[in-house]
Amino acid sequence: MSERVKPRKHRMSRLERKNTLIAYSFLAPNFLGFAIFTLIPVILSVVMSFTEWKGGSLTTMKWVGWDNYATIFNTAKVGKQMAENGFLAGINYFFSKVDLGISLKNTVFFTVVTVPLSLICAVMLALVLNHSVKGSVGFRAVLFFPYVASMVAICVCWNFMLMKNGPVNQMLMFFGSSFNKSWTADSKMAMWAIVLVSVWRNMGYYMVIYLAALQGVPRELYEAATVDGANKWQQFLNVTLPQLRPTTFFASIMLIIGCFKIYDTVAIMTNGGPGRATKMLVLYIYNEAFTNFNYGVASAIAMILLVIVLLVTILQFSMENRYSNN
Amino acid sequence: MKKAIAMLLAAVMLFAMTSFSFAEGNKVLTIVAWDANTTGYLIAQKEAYEASHPGVTIEYIDVSSQDYDTKVAAMLAGGDTSDIYMVKDIPALLNWYEAGYTLNLNDYMKKANYDVSGFVGMEVNYAMNGEQIALPFRSDFEILFYNKDLFDAAGVAYPTNDMSWEEYKEKALKVADPSKDIYGTHYHTWLSTAVNYTVADGVNTLIDGEYSDLAYFYQIIQDLEDAQACMPYSEISAAGLHYSGAFGNGNIAMMPMGYWYVATLITNIKDGAYKVKNWGLASMPTKEGVAAGSTFGNLTGVMINKASAQQDLAWDYIAWLCGEEGAKVTAGAGNRPAWVSEGVADVMSSIDGFPTDEGSKAALLPTYVAIEIPGTALSSQISSILGEEHSAIMTREITIEEGIANMNERVQELLQK
Amino acid sequence: MKTSAKVFNSQDQITPAKILVYILLILVSVFTLIPFVWMISASLKLDREVFTFPMQWIPETPHWENYQVIWTKVPMLTYFKNTAIIAICVTFIQTLTSSFAAYAFAKLNFKGRNVLFLCYIGTIAVPWQAYMLPQFILMRSMGLYDKLQAIMVLQAFSAFGVFLMRQFYQNVPSDLCEAARIDGLSEYGIWARIMLPLSTAAIATLVIFTFVGTWNDYMGPMIYLTREENKTIQVGLRRFIQENSTDYHLIMAASVVSLVPVTVVFLFLQRYFIEGIATSGLKG
Repeated sequence: MSERVKPRKHRMSRLERKNTLIAYSFLAPNFLGFAIFTLIPVILSVVMSFTEWKGGSLTTMKWVGWDNYATIFNTAKVGKQMAENGFLAGINYFFSKVDLGISLKNTVFFTVVTVPLSLICAVMLALVLNHSVKGSVGFRAVLFFPYVASMVAICVCWNFMLMKNGPVNQMLMFFGSSFNKSWTADSKMAMWAIVLVSVWRNMGYYMVIYLAALQGVPRELYEAATVDGANKWQQFLNVTLPQLRPTTFFASIMLIIGCFKIYDTVAIMTNGGPGRATKMLVLYIYNEAFTNFNYGVASAIAMILLVIVLLVTILQFSMENRYSNN
Repeated sequence: MKKAIAMLLAAVMLFAMTSFSFAEGNKVLTIVAWDANTTGYLIAQKEAYEASHPGVTIEYIDVSSQDYDTKVAAMLAGGDTSDIYMVKDIPALLNWYEAGYTLNLNDYMKKANYDVSGFVGMEVNYAMNGEQIALPFRSDFEILFYNKDLFDAAGVAYPTNDMSWEEYKEKALKVADPSKDIYGTHYHTWLSTAVNYTVADGVNTLIDGEYSDLAYFYQIIQDLEDAQACMPYSEISAAGLHYSGAFGNGNIAMMPMGYWYVATLITNIKDGAYKVKNWGLASMPTKEGVAAGSTFGNLTGVMINKASAQQDLAWDYIAWLCGEEGAKVTAGAGNRPAWVSEGVADVMSSIDGFPTDEGSKAALLPTYVAIEIPGTALSSQISSILGEEHSAIMTREITIEEGIANMNERVQELLQK
Repeated sequence: MKTSAKVFNSQDQITPAKILVYILLILVSVFTLIPFVWMISASLKLDREVFTFPMQWIPETPHWENYQVIWTKVPMLTYFKNTAIIAICVTFIQTLTSSFAAYAFAKLNFKGRNVLFLCYIGTIAVPWQAYMLPQFILMRSMGLYDKLQAIMVLQAFSAFGVFLMRQFYQNVPSDLCEAARIDGLSEYGIWARIMLPLSTAAIATLVIFTFVGTWNDYMGPMIYLTREENKTIQVGLRRFIQENSTDYHLIMAASVVSLVPVTVVFLFLQRYFIEGIATSGLKG
């Protein structure tokens, strides 16, 4: 009974503490593994981005401050361009000549195109296949297939599909296209080849997520909407879409991260070529780390990626929070 | 009493020593290699060494050849104690050296009075700051493979060991028959098979930041592609077409490739997997003013891990492997050892399936072999840059001049730092 | 089910819209499947036939023996066994721990929730290539090098699962949890009796994704597993890519075979996506 006498504020904080403890007990099993095997190494790589390290034992790391960042931004050259030809010339130099600028530009372009395309395809397929269309089991399995297959085999297959005289070009020619080159050997089409394969692979994957999410939409909401006289389209806009919001939040973040981290497809299909037309951030990281053995530089590039993704995530996060508060 | 103790001690020591030599009876030497279970020379080397050195067993650790450098970087960083690592390329070795994983072999070599004459100077590519950190056991140089049947059918004389690049181009154009899908020559997608010949003069290198000398070779390739005398790069790279299958298919008359291809070719012809039947070897063509038989090549070697617990044994093995005895075993498996002597050359040309004509035999002994790309701290970065511009030139996304201008600009910027 | 018939009353009639949907579905399926058809076709060819033009969809003489060769040329059976062990363990640990942690993120209020969550997402954003080496050194010092357990702990605690489950749990109305709390159910009880049964579809998704992801992982096993008896399928697959030759026909055959177990898992679990299973829980 003594609890009642205590001031309200104190009691709340005690409850809070208890809740926090319960929450931590939920988190602990996963968080312990996560912290040891992922978080600590990631923090180490943050530190690594300020060091020069050639491999060897961790004690041979040499602190170099912002040097690695200066290297990847090529501040000397870009600065010189800015000083001589103005700010814009410097920016232009960065995005057309410097490895980081080029791979950043390529990666952002790839992400901006691939994310919406994948999302739209995934939602549409999920909506169609959520209804008991005849054969939906078969369709779902078929559409998920690309995700299941091993990347090595898949990329070789697609490279062949997209060759000069391959089936895709022949089909396009039938529709009046005059493009007559292997996609991966053309500076512009190589990027689209990677977009194509990525969307092809993503759409089934995110379709499955949306299918699962659609199971969670309470049917009562549709019933209520029907009673209110909403047509199908209105139902979609006012019931389905808002209910899919957490999933879309998840899907778009995972897609953006996935696109920013694209590696396998590029490494196997184009290896960044022709020239540097499809050079992406992670390919750049990989080469710096395991071809040139500049682990510090590789980590610095990874930090750029981390910062971008975190900014995008926080933005989306706050948008989601604002929405759920409304 | 003292005597008794001394006797006892001596007995214990003797016992310890004998038991030590018992333990020595089954020593296992661990070697990290790529394609270990399928590469002919690795299997042959293991068998030969175990036969002549009873009590030692060789155990390979097989690593995927594509990801060899990545995996080895991780293994070494993690403190791996495998005794010997195969050396795939010089920039990676340089990195292992800088990170402190390689054992300095100078003392061992001095003590054993190790004879390096058979390497004809190639071993210096494995020396850093006066330390010999690895020894080569394979030395592959670029050589011209040709399909005799296609030359016979076209009525063109076989390639010779003293051809110029113009003669080579002419032959390719003559043998090619686009209507029958017959190509005069074949370039794999690498920069090396396309233009590395520039270093054969002993003056040019790929790390000097000046690449106008490559234009000559790019021009030959583009002319040949335009005449449909060789498959276009863009399709080879898109399909990921492997050169072994390409030449094996029997519709390619010539192909510049590393000597290692001899072993693959012989095995696959024996197994009936290839259509090509009669083939020969010729020296790479040369530019005017460069001695016939000049070419470029690369080394494959072995280094001893500093963390190995049995460095003496490891030295014993690599001394054997890289010397004349090991060289003969390597040669017997169809590969070109780094150590060459007349005895070794005899073994090379006498293996079953090797062409019997004099020209092919003579092509086995190049007059000069330049290193493909010298090992410096910047080599791997330079080859990445060259590789990127190479793909842009070869897909015709930029002209040869533009590509070379890019190479010059980018590499020079790197060198200035 | 009657109510559902009312909502989607056009289900049993054939309408032009429906025909259009089918045509589109079939087109998309063809687009999806063509590379696989080529893959199967290539798996029945000889190495040198794989890239010849004009391409043959049906090989002249199918070489079925390719499917035999892959089992003898490399120890494929061992690779399968290892991959299966890893995939099953990872899936089990991942599903259990991340659905547990996700509950805290989605339904409990505690200090540092958002920061911790950003930590999780942040690590997803860092490419593995960047922290692979420090991680390797760490794992090696814990004695996990060249052990299947290394891949298990590497994959099982990924942030992905937590994030996915958190998003699904957010869909479950908080009122349900409140009501249960008032009824005296502990948080663990809510997780076990309300959250889990309501998220079968989500769990099925996580199981599929984790299983497939682990099954197809290449870089992890490549770096951590060294001895022949410990390697996995994806590592084994690359053994057909050698320095001096690439057996594309065998890669394709092995890829086709490695597709089978994952497809079975998918087909088995996809029944949880059939409309209505999850929602019926809400009504009751």
